[in-house]
Amino acid sequence: MTTAREVILTRLRQAADPAIPLPESSRPDAQPSDLVSLFIERATAVGTEIETASPVTLATAIIDELTKTGVSRVAMWEDRLLMQVRAALRATPFQVLDPWDHARDTVAGADAGITIADFAIALTGTLVLDCSPAHPRSTSLLPPVHIAVVPAAHIVASLGDVLTRTGPLPSALTFITGPSRTADIELTPVRGAHGPTRVKVFLLT
Amino acid sequence: MTARIDFEKNSEKALGDPSLQATLRSAMVRFRGLRNSAVEEIPNWQALRQYAHDVKAHALAHLDRYLEQLERQVTEAGGVVHWARNADEARILITQLVKSSGRQVVKSKSMTTEEIELNDALEHAGCEVTETDLGEYLVQLAGEQPAHIIAPVVHKSKETIAALLSEKLGVPRYDDAQQLTMVAREVLRRRFLEADVGISGVNFAVAESGTVVVVENEGNARLTTTLPRTHIAVMGIEKVIPRLADLDVFLTLLPRSATGQRMSSYVSFLTGPRRVGEADGPEQLHLVLLDNGRTAIHADSSMRESLACIRCGACLNVCPVFERTAGHAYGSVYSGPIGAVLTPLFQGLDVAGDLPFASSLCGACGEVCPVKIELPRLLLELRSRVVRQQGAPVAERFFVWGWVNAMKSARRLAVAGKVARAVHRFTSAVRLPLPYPFSRWSAFRELPRPAAKAFRERTS
Repeated sequence: MTTAREVILTRLRQAADPAIPLPESSRPDAQPSDLVSLFIERATAVGTEIETASPVTLATAIIDELTKTGVSRVAMWEDRLLMQVRAALRATPFQVLDPWDHARDTVAGADAGITIADFAIALTGTLVLDCSPAHPRSTSLLPPVHIAVVPAAHIVASLGDVLTRTGPLPSALTFITGPSRTADIELTPVRGAHGPTRVKVFLLT
Repeated sequence: MTARIDFEKNSEKALGDPSLQATLRSAMVRFRGLRNSAVEEIPNWQALRQYAHDVKAHALAHLDRYLEQLERQVTEAGGVVHWARNADEARILITQLVKSSGRQVVKSKSMTTEEIELNDALEHAGCEVTETDLGEYLVQLAGEQPAHIIAPVVHKSKETIAALLSEKLGVPRYDDAQQLTMVAREVLRRRFLEADVGISGVNFAVAESGTVVVVENEGNARLTTTLPRTHIAVMGIEKVIPRLADLDVFLTLLPRSATGQRMSSYVSFLTGPRRVGEADGPEQLHLVLLDNGRTAIHADSSMRESLACIRCGACLNVCPVFERTAGHAYGSVYSGPIGAVLTPLFQGLDVAGDLPFASSLCGACGEVCPVKIELPRLLLELRSRVVRQQGAPVAERFFVWGWVNAMKSARRLAVAGKVARAVHRFTSAVRLPLPYPFSRWSAFRELPRPAAKAFRERTS
């Protein structure tokens, strides 16, 4: 018996046209000069909040933010960039969920999720998050507030720059541009349709 | 046998509903404005369209090769690839996959699963299926079909939606979009946390890496592809692109054309299921490759380019016909100019032969298409096929016969001109409509006023 696969491929082969070439890669025409200020402008435009911090002030700045937001439980990635933040949080009453505590019900109960971003794209104000045992996917998805630590050196101009710089792809590479949104009801923009209502970036300079 | 789609009859309801007309009109104007500003920001937009067109043309010309490569790469990443010739096969296949994982299903937006009427099949098999895109959820609650590819409830006013949620969920009739959205979020969040299976569509599938790309704003597609233990992604075979690098252009074109955003809120590149040690993500990833008429379109060389569509909806938003009729008149999940091309190709001219005529051929659709599909040409080609197959209406044949004969000699043309002027003077003087069957044309259009004196009479 011929399978669906064979039938489909045979039909496609009969109509294949080797004469049509694959064009050379192309990309949007934009060479911004100041990546950091462009990222800040474009990310702010989509509703991402941005605060600058230094490696020294980062932990305090994040704890202040969590306190202001009224958070009690925080889901958090394991990462070199977050080591000091984690240590500082241990000395506070905040309850910290580690990557291995990321069962869906548990993370859904967190008030904020803290991640880093491997890249940030200036032209679109986008954060790029990878995924690994130390970097679960749901940290940036289930809690109502997503906090991302982004070193200024991680900012690139375009998506194309990310694609040329990433090695083998993780199981999920996620591009986040502002908070979750919908405009399904009369095109009225609403934040927090399903994912975080707020995205806050701490830009490390 | 599917019933013939009667576009004129189907559009009556929308045309007679002033609230729908107002809601739809303002939405289309907004969409166009947003798109135009986002497009102006890209200096080489036209070059990018051409590039995307060329990449798609190449991918379609070598579709067999790229699908095999995609299959290899997805398999290598730990996913399972399935092939389905038609809607029936796909429904049976997906139902089996679902039932081996559980019965609670969450779905993120997928036109392809609408096309194969998957929800009915799953519900029949005892599964509980929840559409999680806000618009799709509202459509599901109302027991309707989406009215627009990317804005399913664009035809519904806030008040209608408030009444719907109140009736179905027993909540108060909230009067703002924010509160209404939060009601849905809460209900749907519970479904996500309990779901066994997530079913999503696919915007692009990258052959070289085996990556499935899903574009969205709400986060429901991320939830669908992250939380349940099984993820089933369903795609038409035409969605494959060769290289990861091509996404730089396609992801510039798609959000700007669709919603005027520089980038959609979330874009997920999914390569295989969760890996060893990872805390979340699906344990199983199934990719379903669906033909369902696509290989036939692929073999039809003058229609093949319709398979390049990336489902942005831009051609709907600029279409003067769509702006008045909304999507339901098209009688299928694909509406607007691209629907008027795809539906006849999928379902046959005997079923959907009306649709290529639901166009003023103004050409706006072809101008905005981010992958440069020549929609007006495709519509014209389908019209000529309809006429060859089914013949033209009697009145049209009679008119063209008269026209041809009048144009054959100078004397007859002069006589015809005199008759036309006399008839026009008479009908406009007594406000008489043209007699049937010509009235079907003139009821919606003004006859051009003939010059008082023929050109040749003036110069001789």
